[in-house]
Formats: sequence, C-alpha cells, structure tokens
Amino acid sequence: MLEKLLGGGKLEKKVLEKIKKYLDTLCSATECLKNLLITEDVERSYCVENLEREADVLKREIIATIYEGAFLPYVRPNLCTFIEITEKAFEALEICAFEYRYLNKNIYQNIKEDCLKVAKINVEMCQILIKAFEALRGKDNLRERNLAIRICEKKIDEIKLEITEKLRKCDTCEIINFWEGKNISEFVESLVRISDIIEDASDYLYILDLSLK
Amino acid sequence: MIKLAILASILIAFGIGSNDSSNALGICIGAGVIKFKRAVFLFGVLVFIGILLNGDKVMRTVGKNLIEVAPSVICLTMIISAILILISNWKKLPLSTHQVIIGSLVGSGLASGSPVSFMSLSNILISWIISPFIACFFGFFLYKIAEKIFSRLPFFKMESLLRIFLLISASLISYNTGANELATVLGPVIHAEIPVNTILLYLITSFSIFLGTFTLSHRVIETVGKGIISLDPFSGFIAQFGAGLCVFSFTWLGMPISTTYCIIGAISGVGMTKGLQTIKFDLIKKIAMNWVLTLTSAFTLSYFLTKLILNIL
Repeated sequence: MLEKLLGGGKLEKKVLEKIKKYLDTLCSATECLKNLLITEDVERSYCVENLEREADVLKREIIATIYEGAFLPYVRPNLCTFIEITEKAFEALEICAFEYRYLNKNIYQNIKEDCLKVAKINVEMCQILIKAFEALRGKDNLRERNLAIRICEKKIDEIKLEITEKLRKCDTCEIINFWEGKNISEFVESLVRISDIIEDASDYLYILDLSLK
Repeated sequence: MIKLAILASILIAFGIGSNDSSNALGICIGAGVIKFKRAVFLFGVLVFIGILLNGDKVMRTVGKNLIEVAPSVICLTMIISAILILISNWKKLPLSTHQVIIGSLVGSGLASGSPVSFMSLSNILISWIISPFIACFFGFFLYKIAEKIFSRLPFFKMESLLRIFLLISASLISYNTGANELATVLGPVIHAEIPVNTILLYLITSFSIFLGTFTLSHRVIETVGKGIISLDPFSGFIAQFGAGLCVFSFTWLGMPISTTYCIIGAISGVGMTKGLQTIKFDLIKKIAMNWVLTLTSAFTLSYFLTKLILNIL
C-alpha cells in the first residue's frame, strides 16, 4: 500500500503509459495522413483507419483502468474527458483520409501545398501535445507547450483562409458538381479541425493542471 | 451500578464509531485512497493508540478537574449521556458527544451537591468557543502555504502526494478521536475510582468504536466522502488537517473539543482564502443554536433526573 501511495500505484502507471501510447498513436495517424498527402498513394489512407481502431481499443482500456480505481475520483472524469477530446481528432483524421480517396485530384493539386503545410503542423502539434502531457508528470513547462500549440493553431487558421480563397478563385478547377464540392469541403474542414481539437485537448490539460492547485 | 457505567461508556463509544468516524474516514474513503475495511481497522488501532498515549490530560480535565462526584452519580451521568447520544444518533439529531457528557456531568454534579470547578468549566466553554476559530485560522494559513508549495509540483506528483496527505490527516483525526473524544467519555469513569483495568477498558471501548464504525458508519462516511471530495480534494485535505491540528493542540492542553465543529471552522478558513462571501453565516447561527441547545438540554435533563433518582433512592 505504501508503494502505491509513494510511487503512484500500478493502475496509475498503467493508465499513464496507455495515455502516452494513445497520444503516440495519434501522432502516427497524423504522420500517416501527411505521408498520404505527400505521396498521393490512396492505399496509405487505410493506415489512418487502422490506427483509429487501435486507439479505440486503447481508449477503452484507459477508461476501464481509470474506473478500476486509478487516481482520485476528482481527477478521473477529467482524464476521461481529455481522452474523449483527443478521440475527436482521430475521427477528423479518419474523415480526412476517407474524403481524400474520392477527391478530384485536379482540385487538390491547386491546394496541395497548403494542405501539406497543415498536415505538417498537425504532426508538430501532436508532438507538442505529448510533451504537454509529459509536463504533467515531470518538470516541463506546460504553459509554454500550451502557448506553442496555440501559435501552431493560429498558423493553420491563416492557411485555412488561403485554402478557401484558392478554392473560390480557382479558374482551372471550377467546382460545378455538388459531390465534388461537398467532398473537398469536408476534406478541408476535417484537415483543419484536427488542430482545433489538439488545441482543445491542450487547453484541457492546462485546466486539469490547475484543478488541483 | 458500576457495570452500568462501563456499559454506558461502551455504548457511547459505539455511538461515536457509528456517527463521528466519518470525520476521520469520509474524505479518505471517498477519495479512494483506502478501502473501507482497511480504513476502519486503521481507525480502530489509532483510536486505541490515541487514548493510550494522549488521553490522560483530557480525562483528567473531564473526570477530575471539572467535578469530583461519587461513583454512583458518575454512573447516572454516563447512563443519561448514553441514552441521549443513542437517541440523537437514532433520530439523526446533530448532538456533540462532548457537550452531552459535560452538560450531563455538570447537571448531575450540581443536583447531587458536588462542587463544580467553574474555572475548569469556563476553560472548557472558552475552548468550545475559540476552537472553531482557531481551526479556521489553521485552515486559512495552511491553505495559503500549501497552495504555494503544491503549485510548483507536477500534476501527477501532486495527485499522488495528496493521497498520502489525505491518509495522514485521516490518521490524525482518528488519533484525536481516541485522545480527545474517547477520553471525554472515559474521563469520568477512570477518575471515579471505579475498580477497572484501565488498559482493558481502553481496549474494549476502542473496539466498541471500531464495531460502531464497521457496522453503522458506512452511509455517513459515503455521504461525507462524496460530498466533500467531489468538490476539491485539496481543500478537503487542508480542512481535515487544519481541524486535526487544532484538536490535537487542544488535546495537548487537556481540553475536550468537538472535531466536527473544528472541521466546519477549518472549511470556513479554506473558504475565506477565496473571499469572505464564502462563509455561510446561516450555518454558523445554526451551529451556535445547536451548541446552546445541546448543552442546556443535557444539563437540564441530567439535573432533574439525578434529583429525581436521588430522592427516590
């Protein structure tokens, strides 16, 4: 019991390791999307779905272990909420990869560069999110990580405006088909939504950190 | 008669276990730091250690300094107190064990013509009045200090430390239950020159507290634990620890004081760190009313019952 109290119990360690693994999976999924956008190899889109399934299993294990008795009851729902927020990022990644398969590649070529920029920033944000989570365990500065994520998100917001502008003013790729329009719109929406979700998750970590102080 | 006095103190101890153990264990169990059975066992052991190591001063104040009466009057006092405490527990009336015992003791003492030390009585009354304020002071400053230290720690380190501290504060309150509350119950019996093995009596009454906690306290502990810990475990810990320190200080001075009132005082102190508007003046009024009512009703009942019984005998 003393070991549990002093060193953090087995359940707590198990949860923290699994959350780390869950965030690593999120990072891999964003990396996977980035590679898909670079190579334009549709086969690569399926790896996002596979990683989403892996993350789903991890999420269930994390929540089950938390409610087996890990952490103070006051902290438990907050950790679960953090996981649920990040889960939305997987959903956005999955939609993005799915929509990419049916994308009119002529339209995509026009915005490819910007989409790649967004995908790269998404990967970067994921890595910062992992460091932010690690800051809750160690001495790292969570506030700085949170700020870095916000800056990245702002960059993506600016790129989103550019993408919208390019799509509207594109002479060579005018969208006249409803499904093509819906397809590109959902692709872009989900691509830029990932960063919003990561920012929400980072904000939540910050609030979580303050909740016991 | 002697056997009845001992039986009455065992019954009061059972009442303390069923009702007041939530002060010590509520937060800890609610926070999931320790399981109910382990907590109750730890509580029982600490109560015994408390009365054994630190109970003498409070026992002397209640049983010797306050009033010196014949063993038969002590027996009457204990029986009346036991009945009052058990009825209040049954009817869920918030009566303080200390106030019932002291009120009954003074009532019975005056009725039997025994000399009451008004110096000791006024010391006890002053302790009752100032203890919640001192607990409030402890709560306020402990919160301010702990907030500064804890804010530098990483979140998960703080979470695991908080579990250790919650266990420490629960242990302190458990220890005080023995050193102060049980000592108030046993003081009159021990100092009435009733022929009894002191250690055995400590052991039996501690076991009675353990039994009361084990059998009847579950619901109260659950209510206190979930009620407080769902708000903020850090504030809960500070309130409990502040109250524990306050009761321990008064125990050291030999003054019997209520842990519940100290916890309320310490919670107010923690609340005051966020501004004076957090203090519930209605609750304080209610406590003051209850305080006066318990003391006067225990005194009046004991006075007239003792008069009646002594006239009959």
